[in-house]
Amino acid sequence: MKKYLLLLPLAIFFTSFANGQGKVNNIPPAVVYGERTMKEIGVQQTKLDSLQLKENIALSMADVLTFNSSIFVKNYGRATLSTVAFRGTSPSHTQVSWNGMKINNPMLGMTDFSMIPSYFIDDASLLHGTSSVNETGGGLGGAVKLSSRPAQNEGFGLQYVQGVGSFKTFDEFLRLTWGDEHWQTSTRAVYSSSPNEFEYRNHDKKVNVYDEDMNIIDQYCPIEKNKSGSFKDLHLLQEVYYNTGRGDRFGLNGWYINSNRELPMLTVDHGEDTDFENRQREHTFRGVISWDHLDDGWKMGAKGGYIYTWMAYDYKRDVGNGNMAHMTQSRSEINTIYGQADGEYYIDKEWLFTASLSAHQHFVESRDKNIIRQDGNKAVVGYKQARIELSGSVSAKWRPSDRFGVSAVIREELCGTEWTPVIPALFLDGVISKKGNIIAKTSVSRNYRFPTLNDLYFLPGGNPDLKKESGWTYDAGISFSVGREGVYTLSGSANWFDSYVKDWIIWLPTPKGFFSPDNIKDVHAYGIELQGDLSVALAPEWSLKMDGNFSWTPSINVGEPRTPADQSVGKQLPYVPELSSTVTGTISWRSWSFLYKWCYYSERYTMSSNDVTLTGKLPPYFMSNITLEKVLSFKWADISLKGIVNNLFDEEYLSVLSRPMPGINFEIFVGITPKF
Amino acid sequence: MLKLFVRLFFLGLLLLHTSCMKWEYGLEEEFDTSASGEGLFICNEGNFQYGNATLSYYDPATKQVQNEIFYRANAMKLGDVCQSMIIRDGVGWVVVNNSHVVFAIDINTFKEVGRITNLTSPRYIHFISDEKAYITQIWDNRIFIVNPKRYEITGYIEVPDMTMESGSTEQMVQYGKYLYVNCWSYQNRILKIDTETDQVVDELVVGIQPTSLVMDCNNKLWTVTDGGYEGSPYGHEAPSLYRIDAETFTIEKQFKFEFGDAPSEVQLNGTKDKLYWINEDIWEMDVTADRVPVRPFLPYDNTIYYGLTVCPRTGDVYIADAIDYVQQGMVYRYSSSGELIDEFYVGVIPGAFCWK
Repeated sequence: MKKYLLLLPLAIFFTSFANGQGKVNNIPPAVVYGERTMKEIGVQQTKLDSLQLKENIALSMADVLTFNSSIFVKNYGRATLSTVAFRGTSPSHTQVSWNGMKINNPMLGMTDFSMIPSYFIDDASLLHGTSSVNETGGGLGGAVKLSSRPAQNEGFGLQYVQGVGSFKTFDEFLRLTWGDEHWQTSTRAVYSSSPNEFEYRNHDKKVNVYDEDMNIIDQYCPIEKNKSGSFKDLHLLQEVYYNTGRGDRFGLNGWYINSNRELPMLTVDHGEDTDFENRQREHTFRGVISWDHLDDGWKMGAKGGYIYTWMAYDYKRDVGNGNMAHMTQSRSEINTIYGQADGEYYIDKEWLFTASLSAHQHFVESRDKNIIRQDGNKAVVGYKQARIELSGSVSAKWRPSDRFGVSAVIREELCGTEWTPVIPALFLDGVISKKGNIIAKTSVSRNYRFPTLNDLYFLPGGNPDLKKESGWTYDAGISFSVGREGVYTLSGSANWFDSYVKDWIIWLPTPKGFFSPDNIKDVHAYGIELQGDLSVALAPEWSLKMDGNFSWTPSINVGEPRTPADQSVGKQLPYVPELSSTVTGTISWRSWSFLYKWCYYSERYTMSSNDVTLTGKLPPYFMSNITLEKVLSFKWADISLKGIVNNLFDEEYLSVLSRPMPGINFEIFVGITPKF
Repeated sequence: MLKLFVRLFFLGLLLLHTSCMKWEYGLEEEFDTSASGEGLFICNEGNFQYGNATLSYYDPATKQVQNEIFYRANAMKLGDVCQSMIIRDGVGWVVVNNSHVVFAIDINTFKEVGRITNLTSPRYIHFISDEKAYITQIWDNRIFIVNPKRYEITGYIEVPDMTMESGSTEQMVQYGKYLYVNCWSYQNRILKIDTETDQVVDELVVGIQPTSLVMDCNNKLWTVTDGGYEGSPYGHEAPSLYRIDAETFTIEKQFKFEFGDAPSEVQLNGTKDKLYWINEDIWEMDVTADRVPVRPFLPYDNTIYYGLTVCPRTGDVYIADAIDYVQQGMVYRYSSSGELIDEFYVGVIPGAFCWK
């Protein structure tokens, strides 16, 4: 029955469309239909609009993607690690860039999306499967492109928002802008903090009540607080843009993160939170300078960048009298230097040639454990490595008529001293019907992903003999977009994909008691992605906007049995939901707006054999959030008032085993934008 | 039309409410295995940080296995990384490493009868008396002294030349009033502890990282080292099996393995005159032997052996296969002559056994 219930939002969505033909105006400018740029021939992408990105200052990109895309967000708790994965692949198969620079952690391969405040992102697009080859290699699942852009303000601008929420959560956001004909500057700051002690019924353990002889006379599941889960995150973003007006644009973006987070205790932890400290700290600076030159028929650009990341993990134990002794004291430092050059050349309107070359030079030092050697001297277990990553591509795009386009991309990558074979990608699209802008797309690509630095060098367990993962991906889809000026816009797409990944790297325990990676699995991931967007002006001063996503993503282990007893072959990968769906709807009247967000994940298996046990069960869940906003417009300022209810129906749910999640909770935001 | 849209919007919201997830929490199940006599508990570690450790129970007579017995009997999870278990006077003591707890359970009903909490990272428990037990730890340079009757921590044994960060004490074997403990992670020692004074009174340096410790019928201690790993600042060497005289606390014999081998899980049979261990294959050796056998007891068969035990009464050999470490592992039961008798699935990462 639940499988059918998830179709309800779509049913409502289409019912809305069927009835949305009246005379109305005030369409939100969210959907642009009928536009096909040469660069996007055959590309399957999801673009997140400003409404989705800027809906709530307290949201991270993990939250935004959870409710606005088909990709799976694996969330370890509130303000803790959140990774994303396309189409049944792993988080390290998702390549993430910010203003062109790759920000995947070179040690781990993945990106923590809980560390990316959505308010710092002005443009976000998801490139599904093959489409990622246009931008980068290594995206066996896809790529996420994040960027900021000029505010395009004249004179001074200021916006300040303060939020107060459940669990003593405080959020502050400030943005200062200044601009003229040539210059645009922007300074943004976000600070979020909370002890994060939300209450939940802990069904995983019981409290014992003893009599005097220490016999258990009663047991009960306690209502516990999320212990050791506090966070303080500061983000600063400085941007300066200069436009010469003669075709040259310069940009400077600097983003600083200072994060101090405790790692919440598991639901099965019987320790006292006051006896332990489990904390992760991070200082990261990312900076990009860019230059673009636009001319008749051609464009070129260059970028340079730098990333510094310092991460500390401390696990301490009270050994008496409040004296906290280190059990683990792990430190890592990453320095990355980045450079990129791009060029585009148009011949008439039929041909576009592009070329791109990027370089990321990583210097990494990992100090994981302090030990005493056999000779009594101290030593550190860790590694220090440097690695260059080059990625170059050329493409030719040809659109001989309005109805047909073809694009061929050739990419090659170097990682350390190892080259990939040539990575080819081919994209086709064609207009099936101009009425309804019905477009068919198809693409195919090869792709490779190199092991991360931890995969190769981490002590203990790093495996320098690992092979790179490789894959083939096939995509085919159809999209449409219709609308009537000032009345409605409706667009949708259906996409089928099929991908094979060979030599999938997995970390497994060894007989020596530590984990080590190996090229273990071959995976066949396939499925369907559906997307729909509707904007409709219902009546004068009334508008409705709805977005929906639905994914069916079997991700099947097709490797050889690891041992004779192996039951995992032919089964869905653990922690990959087969079905997921999201719907958001906003209804606006004058300066009021009401937003409803809903998402669904089907059951995730925790075992590769897909056995569902009492201990290893992650039931499906639905999540609903609502927001009511009112904007008050005065001569001197705009004031926005916003109330948010998260987990509207107070669901008890889990994203990952033994990680508590909050029930219903509330946030209030007050924002002011003075009019200078 | 506007009204219709607004109604539909809120109707949708209401309908979504009806589709909320419903948890199904476990009910306590009644077990009584008192009539079955012999039984084998299997500690399934589960995946670190996922809290999916479980306890299985196997009846060798009926060849029946019951999985998740702790959860089913108590309607709560066992915890994160079930490390080991021992039985004393009808009570099973289950050490759950990353849950910082040792559960005491009735070995027939599997119901919890108590628990010791506030441990750092417990590995093994050993009883000195009814009112005193030691619990070894990793990431702590102290062995915890507990009163099992009151489920209380009563004191600590400080281990010399060991920091919290590199702290590691493991398996315990008692000879008279002395207790011997192997120190594993980034260590190379066997400790000798006076159980009357709770002090470390002596230590013996062996090879790098001794993983397990047993004592045979001749009061000889046996430990096997794993030799460390490539690139370790602590060193990397060929592992060895050591025979140590408990009385004199001196190494009597060292059996060297090939460089790169990874021996582990030294176990004894019921009469304590035969030694077993895992080194890719399963090996068996008489405790009086002068050299390691040429051929294994059970050769490697594409199976990654992770745990090992020998039935103290029949001599049957039980071997755990963790497979890919994220599915239910398999336990193989062989006769003392190497014939396969039974095989059964248990929980995720079966690592340790305990005989009833």
